[in-house]
Amino acid sequence: MTGEQIQTLFGLMLEYTVPTLKIFGFTLLYSIPLGMIVALLKMCRFKPVSWLTNIYILVMRGTPLLLQLIVAQYSVPYIVRSELCPGFLHALLDGVDIRSEEYMFNMMLFAFVLNYAAYFAEIFRGGIAAIPKGQYEAAGALGFNRFQTFFRIVLPQVVRHVLPASSNEIITLVKDTSLASAIPYMEIMYIAKKQVPTYASLLPLFMAGAFYFVFAMLLTLLLSLIEKASDPLWRRGVNEKRKELFRRGNA
Amino acid sequence: MKKNILTRLLAGFTAAAMLTACAGCGNAQTAANTDTPAASDDSLQKVLDAKKLVLGLDASFPPMGFTNESNEIVGFDIDVAQEVCDRMGVELVKQPINWDTKEEDLNLGKIDCIWNGMSINAARAEAMNLSDPYMKNEMIFVVNASSGLKSMDDLKGKTVGVQTGSTAQEILEASDMYTDITVTPLEDNVTLLNQMELGFSDAVFLDSVVAYYFIAENHKDFYVLPGNLESEEYAVGFRKADQTLRDKVQTTLSEMKADGKLGEISEKWFGSDVTTVK
Repeated sequence: MTGEQIQTLFGLMLEYTVPTLKIFGFTLLYSIPLGMIVALLKMCRFKPVSWLTNIYILVMRGTPLLLQLIVAQYSVPYIVRSELCPGFLHALLDGVDIRSEEYMFNMMLFAFVLNYAAYFAEIFRGGIAAIPKGQYEAAGALGFNRFQTFFRIVLPQVVRHVLPASSNEIITLVKDTSLASAIPYMEIMYIAKKQVPTYASLLPLFMAGAFYFVFAMLLTLLLSLIEKASDPLWRRGVNEKRKELFRRGNA
Repeated sequence: MKKNILTRLLAGFTAAAMLTACAGCGNAQTAANTDTPAASDDSLQKVLDAKKLVLGLDASFPPMGFTNESNEIVGFDIDVAQEVCDRMGVELVKQPINWDTKEEDLNLGKIDCIWNGMSINAARAEAMNLSDPYMKNEMIFVVNASSGLKSMDDLKGKTVGVQTGSTAQEILEASDMYTDITVTPLEDNVTLLNQMELGFSDAVFLDSVVAYYFIAENHKDFYVLPGNLESEEYAVGFRKADQTLRDKVQTTLSEMKADGKLGEISEKWFGSDVTTVK
């Protein structure tokens, strides 16, 4: 491939980083809060709720995301065609234009969000479970109600506990967005795949790889900064003071 | 070219997912494509009313339908479809689809036709309302010119690459020579040719249309072995019930053949009129 061709290709890929970022951003935006809710539902003391949540997580983690994306695309027309579909659902879905871009994007996002929420839920549940029972008792003794205990004592610690594992998920999501190319949704991977026969070269795929790599690297940096910033001592600039106290104590 | 195996599995899976997703929905009706034809067939009128014909394609099958450097979908099929649409007074919408689920996309109404160098086979004739064949295609072997392979007999004991899920793979597996060769399946023809150049395989078995275009466009030092295993034909696929739409496209193609427009487009892509429309 000539330099000029590579430049054209680079420009094209740069243009299609926007759809990739769109999937990435929206998935995180919805799946993190949903994951938090799912985690709480799973820990619900009313058992049937906890069981249903478990089934949801099992299905989402137990089947390939690629398949979930495809099933989501075809779900609406199949439900509409189903004879036993309840009337209100039929009325709701009948107007959906399955040829539109929005439909394709929304259903894809739906699958991404449900899938990632299941993974995030498990991470968050682990983070919540790691808080010792004694803290709840102590908070109760100090007059905190359950709401205050969760949001002011538990959650800040959970955030710190779950950051490393969540970072892992977030970086995986960068690369999982490429599955959208199978729908097909036009993002970097789709462009790369379709340009392979055009140039009779594998270079488009390597270039796509470079895009993902750079994106993942920037995210890694950002996430490690967030991790650092979530340390309350570091955040309040206490670190230096603490070291000083430590030195004095030793002296 | 490619053949679908996944669709049935997928339809089953979707149905199963629906069942679990909404227990109240009961049986998902998967047999949606068995509508009765004729009588109240308004398929043509629908397309004319919408002023749009949505053409589904894989967009990576040069020279029939593929993506060019500026990400536009071009190709022989596209030029022909554009002309057909112009004559019908509708807009051509080029909708990239996943080739594995093309029958679903067609039957569920996401697209109006599949027009992408699609070879005729029994399963497709069963699942769709196919147009008359518009072009012939042969399945041929391509080797590196430097390999010294000169005929199909030389391929004994060699490794042959073929596209997965393609009619080429079916033909090769059914042939007498299948026992004497090692087959390496891969997702697309162009990657296969690239790999052969690098020495991953000795020969590639693929559509002559793709091979000749690829060799000419990229100035590769490849050699096409004389002879072929089987020839096949390309057709456009419509929904089973869409008889009027299919007939309209068919007659428009015949008109284009008669007034020389089809030959002109064929010459642009293949250097001569290779179409077989009557």
